[in-house]
Amino acid sequence: MTATTRLKLNLGPQHPSTHGVLRLLLELEGEKILSCEPDIGYLHRGMEKMAEKLTYIQYLPLVDRLDYLAGFFYSELLCRIVETACQAELPDKVRVIRVMMLELNRIASHLLWVGAFLMDLGATSPYFYVFREREMILRYFEKVTGQRMMYNYFIFGGVRKDIEFLENVEEIISILPQKIDDYEKIITDNPIFIRRTVNKGILEPETAFNFAITGVNLRASGVDYDYRHQDSLYKGFDFKAIVLDGKDAWSRYKARILEMRESINIVKQALDYLKKSGPLEQRLIPPINLKLPEGEYFAEIEAPRGLACCYVRSEGDDKPYRLKWRTGSYYSVNLLRNILKGEYLNDAIAIAGSLDIILPEVDK
Amino acid sequence: MCIEFFGAVKALWEGMLTVFKHLFKRAVTLEYPEKKRDLNGAFRGKPVVEGCIGCGICQRVCPSGAIEFKKDENGKVVFYKFDLKKCIFCGNCAFYCPKGAIKMTKEYELAVQNKDELNLIYRGGAEND
Repeated sequence: MTATTRLKLNLGPQHPSTHGVLRLLLELEGEKILSCEPDIGYLHRGMEKMAEKLTYIQYLPLVDRLDYLAGFFYSELLCRIVETACQAELPDKVRVIRVMMLELNRIASHLLWVGAFLMDLGATSPYFYVFREREMILRYFEKVTGQRMMYNYFIFGGVRKDIEFLENVEEIISILPQKIDDYEKIITDNPIFIRRTVNKGILEPETAFNFAITGVNLRASGVDYDYRHQDSLYKGFDFKAIVLDGKDAWSRYKARILEMRESINIVKQALDYLKKSGPLEQRLIPPINLKLPEGEYFAEIEAPRGLACCYVRSEGDDKPYRLKWRTGSYYSVNLLRNILKGEYLNDAIAIAGSLDIILPEVDK
Repeated sequence: MCIEFFGAVKALWEGMLTVFKHLFKRAVTLEYPEKKRDLNGAFRGKPVVEGCIGCGICQRVCPSGAIEFKKDENGKVVFYKFDLKKCIFCGNCAFYCPKGAIKMTKEYELAVQNKDELNLIYRGGAEND
């Protein structure tokens, strides 16, 4: 008999499988994980403190950098804060343009997640396929907004310019469903994939509530909560929340695949509206000397990685007194303490990958 | 057990078939320095200025403080500088310029040997320039 020794293992911060730079301090007994301590902060850029030094319009291009895979969601939040403070009504066309961009962005973000997750599990070909499809979406964003990831397209009271190149969107949504079928052929029923994900990283709804998990991770645990249904931005769009009750890594994968298909539906509805609509008419809020009335403002939106919120406290100045972001990934990282306990080291990366953690969002 | 085995063979076969189909398709990548993709649409590259009136709005909306300009005693802009080391190509200056004097060109290959070349300095800039 040999005495069992406990081993402390550093996973990261430069581990190639982690998304960004995350350090996990694991305590192991054999291959079993006894405890996990996430260590964050390697990508800290001071996004919240920076807001206190910049005017609202100066801060707007920077919020895209909070989450480089889904930048539109955060600029939408900041725009919404300013619009509620100035009591500006969005015209229908602006609303639909924003919904279309957000949903395309959600598809792009989930696509990359599928590739990165499969890469974590050791499958390389899906990684290249998703980049090919994501490239179509990013090229479209570049044509309309001017950049591939740092869009700066939504501005206070509207969008920068009228939507163009709608035929590209049509092409994207006609090609994507077949491509997603292709991924499913390679991935979903693959026996190795099933063995590595089914019943791994079980997330019970109670744990999810305690750790404030939102978004796809929560819905894959059987809780029907999709903020988009309460969101006035999505008024008039017909879609359903994807709820699966597998609670494991496989369900989280499947939920994202299904959510992409649902997003394609929303983009289709938006496209039908935009094709028939006239030229863009909007009343922009002038950004120079823009002062929010004294008070507190709050906005939330369903981002790809969970509920994203923005809180602004204004003292009637042209800069926020305090600005706070709530990002979905931050809570997923915290969940690792709980969800990795009792699992094997081999599954740690698969489980952490299935939560869709993106570090710039965590460190802010 | 037997069912699982045949299920696995079928799934792997289908997967391999999907992967092998790609052997007969055209490459999607571009050989970058030789071939360049077309940048149609609103691409934001190197900013240029022409016909500035010196109102200073660009300076006030710039998030990184990349813009500097000087006026002479008649109010004419004699010096205008974009610091590309600071510029994040957000396009705020071009969008809010009341005269449309700032344009974001499609030039994106901005690597230089000497970092002073990244200060884009425009002299004159007023109507007679």
